Amino acid sequence: MAVPDSGVRLDPGSFRDPGSRVFHRRGEVLRGLDERSARDWRALAVSDFFRDLLAAGKVCGTEELIPTPVDAPWAAVLRHERIPFVTHPYEWSYGMLRDAALLHLEILAAALAAGFTTKDGSAYNLQWRGVAPVFIDVGSFEPVRDGEPWAGYRQFCQTLLYPLLLQAHLGLDFQPWLRARIDGIEPEQMRRLFGGARRLRAGVLTHVHLHGAMQSRNAGASTSEVRAQLRAAGYSRELALATVRGLTRLVRRLDHRPGESHWADYQRTCAYSVPDRQAKEGFVDRAVAATGPGLVLDLGANDGRYARIAARHADYVVAVEQDPAIVDALYRALRDEGERRILPLLLDLADPSPGGGWRGAERAAFADRARADVVLALALVHHLAIGRNVPLAAVLDQLVELGTAGGTLVAEFVHPEDPMARRLLANKPDGLFPDYRLETFETLLAARGRVVRRLELPSGTRTLYQVVIGG
Amino acid sequence: MTHLAYLDAGSGSLIVQALVGGVAGAAVAAKLYWRRLVARFRRQPTDQG
Repeated sequence: MAVPDSGVRLDPGSFRDPGSRVFHRRGEVLRGLDERSARDWRALAVSDFFRDLLAAGKVCGTEELIPTPVDAPWAAVLRHERIPFVTHPYEWSYGMLRDAALLHLEILAAALAAGFTTKDGSAYNLQWRGVAPVFIDVGSFEPVRDGEPWAGYRQFCQTLLYPLLLQAHLGLDFQPWLRARIDGIEPEQMRRLFGGARRLRAGVLTHVHLHGAMQSRNAGASTSEVRAQLRAAGYSRELALATVRGLTRLVRRLDHRPGESHWADYQRTCAYSVPDRQAKEGFVDRAVAATGPGLVLDLGANDGRYARIAARHADYVVAVEQDPAIVDALYRALRDEGERRILPLLLDLADPSPGGGWRGAERAAFADRARADVVLALALVHHLAIGRNVPLAAVLDQLVELGTAGGTLVAEFVHPEDPMARRLLANKPDGLFPDYRLETFETLLAARGRVVRRLELPSGTRTLYQVVIGG
Repeated sequence: MTHLAYLDAGSGSLIVQALVGGVAGAAVAAKLYWRRLVARFRRQPTDQG
């Protein structure tokens, strides 16, 4: 649709509901509503349940622009609170996906009780403010029509419930499944995975097998036909609420704890001496403080020690880690601490999230979302350069690209003779990395920014750099 | 009010929600299937005629 304001950019991830579309203008996140959606919004805006959800921060902050901007081709325009860093469900840990699912169900139950429902049930309806999930799709609310089941149930199963079942019952990481398919996992795929005695696991017989069977048996019936039949047979709002309660009980039961990983012991086994750790903490603290508030990307965040230090000075810290178990442990710890400015994110820097969905733009790639004021690359470079064979210059190019010109890069170089580097080198043929040397690293760094501070840790095998990017 | 959501809810996905809704839900599903069955028998003579 042509929008006659040059400063307007339609959000490439918001087109599936033509009556409610998100766009960006001068740094603001706005939502245009057609006549029908505007009527639904105005009914929603005066409802108590919605006000309570907004006050509790469970739905993203939303207000209507009054009067409606004359240059907008919409019946109403809403302004949303900005989500500090947009993420996709395949970048969440198990606990995050489960809490997001529970919030979606909580919101749906509150809506149903107040005479509303949500048009869909997708994991993409949710985002994060630190470790607090938030429902962002305000355009999804509409008055409920009595006698109709939830239109979002299938989507809820495919993008939230099935991934949880995969992980909780089979121990399979769900993220690759969601990353590969924007619409999630089909019931038919799930049925193949849950044969034999696995049918008896919680939620499988009904939400997987029965669901799949019903889909194939009713493939020829239109949804409007089936809706009319269900209404005539006496389907009620109480039944819809009972289904939501049942789903909530099921998701609560699926409290899976990922197994131990070797990264879980990393802080203990990576042999930092107390003086090394203190020096490193002080260095990071000073570097982030000097840059001032803004967005910090902590790459290879592990247990979040340095993310927490960065959060003392930053507006928001995205703690990126590649191990699902570590991200989950960090998420649970931050949630218990009530920390609101650190977002744990599951991502392998050697294989970051690509663009997904329609034209590869519906879900933005990590590289298109990440522009940080401070990039922390602590005990990371050697994992990429030696562990993943990425040329040292390419590693530094990536680190610099994730930051902003004039922003800060804090990088740690682990010398080839450090025990951790030696352990990684021992797995590779001798002489494979002749360029993995301190002098090379410093030359490459100087070509990409201005080193303003340098500190060799007391152990003598690790050096820290504070660099002004492009400076 | 007739209205189709922007999202295809899936016919089977709508019916299964009655089936997972306990005894009351199963009764709704049973009624739906009974009515479908009756409708089929009622329709047949006219179809043939």
